[in-house]
Amino acid sequence: MTTVAPHLVRRLQLAGLLVTLGLIVELVTLHWAHPTAFLFFLFLGGLLVTAGVLLYLFAIASPAQPELESRRPPDAAG
Amino acid sequence: MSLPIAGFAALVLATIALVALVVLRPSLMAARGGKILAFVALFFLPLLLTGLGTAAQMEHSKSTRFCLSCHVMEPYGRSLLVDDPAYLPARHYQNNRVPREAACFTCHTDYTLFGDYKAKLRGLRHVYVNYLGTIPKQIKLYEPYNNRECLHCHGGARAFEENEVHQPIRAELAKNATSCLECHDKVHNAHGLAGAKLWQEGKP
Repeated sequence: MTTVAPHLVRRLQLAGLLVTLGLIVELVTLHWAHPTAFLFFLFLGGLLVTAGVLLYLFAIASPAQPELESRRPPDAAG
Repeated sequence: MSLPIAGFAALVLATIALVALVVLRPSLMAARGGKILAFVALFFLPLLLTGLGTAAQMEHSKSTRFCLSCHVMEPYGRSLLVDDPAYLPARHYQNNRVPREAACFTCHTDYTLFGDYKAKLRGLRHVYVNYLGTIPKQIKLYEPYNNRECLHCHGGARAFEENEVHQPIRAELAKNATSCLECHDKVHNAHGLAGAKLWQEGKP
């Protein structure tokens, strides 16, 4: 079975954590009809979700880390 | 578009479950289906929920409860309940001439979140002043009250159009050259209501 690079896993975990926290903040603020709730929703919840989404995009778009490449065993010719 | 809070909560919980699945079982990402699942859980659903949540917050902010949630607005809320039909807000609120759950927004449609970018910045400033600044003793509108808000409902209404006082100045009212409040001048008077008798629904 194909494995997933460890750096991708770490970034996905962090992205997942940020998105989850952001969504929880958004959900909680929706139960509170107050101008401060709107600010928390937008500037805390929205920011966490956006950061998580961007980190996810970065994780899937970034190439494999060079140090992982260098850990490969040298081939016969090398 | 607005989503009921229960629906929003269900969607948030489903998204969190999907995120947990992707994070706890990263090997899923090796297959095409897993990549699609991760995209839905970490991109599509969070952005969709943030958009739906923003719409719900905007709906919330039209509510009378939202406007009166700051202490500084409490006297204005009291002016909706004063037991004196001469008070314009009270007359509108108590006789259902404006929807009670959105009474403030109905007459102040261009205020803060609902106005242009200037109004939105003012809204943010209000929050700042409420917590960190000095709240002025007398709260005033930034611009004179626009007749447009009155004529939105009263314009074309028979009682308004056939009124002998309104008829000669109808064009001036439409152009905002004469303010409705010049004659109907008992508006909030928020700080003059101490000890005023308040209307209680269902009690004569």
